[in-house]
Amino acid sequence: MRSPGGMKTALAGVAVAALLGIPAQAQNEDYRVYVSNEYNADVSVIDPATNTVMATLPISGRPGEVRPRGVAVSPDGRTVYISVSDFNPQVETPEDKIVAIDVETNEILSEFRAGGNPERLAVSPDGEEVWASLEALAQGAGYKVEDGSEIARFPVGVEAEGVAVSPDGRWVYVTAEATHSVTVIDAENLSVVTHRLVGNRPRVVEFSNDGTRAYVTAEIGGTVSVIDTQDHTVIDTINLGLDSRPVEIAVAPEGDRLYVAGGGTSAVYVIDTEENEVIATIREQMGRRPWGIAISPDGSRVYTANGLSDSVSVIDTETLSVIDNIAVGRGAHSAIVGRIPNEG
Amino acid sequence: MISGLLSGMTNGLGRALLILCMLVPAVQAQEDVAVRGVVGVILPEVGQDESLRAALVEDVEQGAVMAAEEFSMNASLFGIDFQVVVEHSPAARETAARLRQEHGVAAVVGGIGRGDAGELSAWAEESGVPFVNVAATSDLLRADECGAMTFHLAPSAAMYIDALAGWFVRSGFRRWFIVRNDSSEAQDQHERLVSALEERHFAAREVGSSVWESATDYGALAGEIAASGADLIMLLLPAPDQLEALSSLDAAGVEVMTTGFPYPAAQTRAFFDASRNAAPGLGSGFRATSWEPTLDAYGARELNARYLQRWGEPMEAGAWAGFQAVKILYEAIVMGGSAEPEDVAAYLGAENTIFDLWKGIGASFRPWDHQMRQSLYLVKINETSSDRLDAALLVGELPAIYMPGTDPVERLDQLGDLEHASRCRGFQE
Repeated sequence: MRSPGGMKTALAGVAVAALLGIPAQAQNEDYRVYVSNEYNADVSVIDPATNTVMATLPISGRPGEVRPRGVAVSPDGRTVYISVSDFNPQVETPEDKIVAIDVETNEILSEFRAGGNPERLAVSPDGEEVWASLEALAQGAGYKVEDGSEIARFPVGVEAEGVAVSPDGRWVYVTAEATHSVTVIDAENLSVVTHRLVGNRPRVVEFSNDGTRAYVTAEIGGTVSVIDTQDHTVIDTINLGLDSRPVEIAVAPEGDRLYVAGGGTSAVYVIDTEENEVIATIREQMGRRPWGIAISPDGSRVYTANGLSDSVSVIDTETLSVIDNIAVGRGAHSAIVGRIPNEG
Repeated sequence: MISGLLSGMTNGLGRALLILCMLVPAVQAQEDVAVRGVVGVILPEVGQDESLRAALVEDVEQGAVMAAEEFSMNASLFGIDFQVVVEHSPAARETAARLRQEHGVAAVVGGIGRGDAGELSAWAEESGVPFVNVAATSDLLRADECGAMTFHLAPSAAMYIDALAGWFVRSGFRRWFIVRNDSSEAQDQHERLVSALEERHFAAREVGSSVWESATDYGALAGEIAASGADLIMLLLPAPDQLEALSSLDAAGVEVMTTGFPYPAAQTRAFFDASRNAAPGLGSGFRATSWEPTLDAYGARELNARYLQRWGEPMEAGAWAGFQAVKILYEAIVMGGSAEPEDVAAYLGAENTIFDLWKGIGASFRPWDHQMRQSLYLVKINETSSDRLDAALLVGELPAIYMPGTDPVERLDQLGDLEHASRCRGFQE
């Protein structure tokens, strides 16, 4: 799961299961995989039990003009948020918005305005705030989920892209592609704390489950920067190779691995978070240009959104191999896992 | 003329950045360092009869100004004072010296043509201040005249020739007729082209050539071309002369695919329009470029859109070069943490320094001649163009950057002279 809050919930579930002597696997909720299709202006919903598309949710009737990209999920896993913009980054249009989808019903719950070409999203651990990178304005902005009102917006680097909220809700990190920077926002005091330089063309940032680390991919630099969230300094740089082109990151439920989508190389890099080293590279049967990546609540499956093959690759994390490829919409961009209660 | 660059921001992102700079003045900078870095951009004064060159100069300036707006704002986030000074001058070398004296420039950008680039390169070696060449393609600048303080963002003639040879030969054009003038630069290009055809492309060859002059008999030239059996004509001529040759060959009834050497002035929309208008038959062919404003991938959509918003016109190759030159110097100062010229040069030239040029692959300066490795584009002049943006259609990229399993540096080094072929031996330790 990409949401730190969601991860926290998943870990809590495991802990409770351990106390009760119940196998963690039995506590698993049902889940669905949501994939934003940039060129289809819709969202594919995948049933992981059958690896088939169970629904396609239209975001707009104007594919090719309206583009859903970033995805995020509420801490309880029940609401998926999609950032929607258009293909003319500098023009403010009504399409610049955030859409909330109910995982149980696959219906659109609400939507609210987020001007400035919102690209990616993150949800606060209390589920009350959504933070977005506003690419065209070089800003990061927070919104109240309840009514869509804007909490604050801050200057970040040029071409804002990745955004993540720390598991304790204190920090919002926003990356900027053109200026190789991460801006740290204090979400409690609503102020910018600092800016940090990371690798060349930073894309996505994710926090570790315990919140002590943040990981930032750098697409052109071919690196993952490891940031100590205590003082927001880069303490390590994991080199994936100049041509690795990493984009999204999925943190394993146990926190011991990162799965990094290597977009331009049609690969997934598996990183050991203790050693901060690449321990495997998955290439065989991978779809083309995986940008999005998400992991199942039990950590057994990884899903990649493959933008050039319009597909989702399913990876078995035990064998680290692709076990299925699922056709989705055109320009699969990002993936997230939403959860629903297991009625059984 | 010295431009106060931020004062020019009037709309779009520029306006947003300026406002934000004023409203959110200070946060803790990364290292709390107080570095001041000034970059000088030196452009020629252009006569009114040089419309293509004027278009190029304007493009470079606008790109540099946009970069100054974006990156000075961003530098301020890190506690760094980054400024860009633009001057138009007929004497590049003297202007560079004055900018160093008056503003303490950490580096200069320029090179609109072989003359300016040679002057600035010589000054850079003498003064120890790096020079980034944005528009001079001459291989001589990268060979016998190379310098440790000169960095070529502009692709070299050899790179363009290799790209053109690759595209056309793979498309089946194997019998090349070369038209050039009698300059040493054109002669060098001619030799390099023949070498590329013979050494890299099986069965492709030169089938004829002609030395162009203002009194060329195009009827006779058309006869020569027809007799040679050529399937491609390559014009190794300056941009204005390419237009005349295209027009005259077209009028002489030549129907052979024709392209020309992509001097920066010949990569402008102004040139494409003039080519299409001057030669209805031959003037809408394929051209090589270093950038294309309709490029959509690799984040180029956002960069092109910002430029379009800022200036109301497409980001052409010259604008891209002006923007990127300022950007890489910004990075050298901010990421290198110093505005001392020797530190800036060291950052630019370091083998582990990677630049993002919005071309989807990490670019770097080759250590043996300081030529920026990068991919190039092939466009087709749009014969039904209705506005400047659609004056050309993007049709190719070379080398293809999506080639998993191959080394990205070797991939980019498919274009241009490798170390063993380089005649630059002057500055490597």
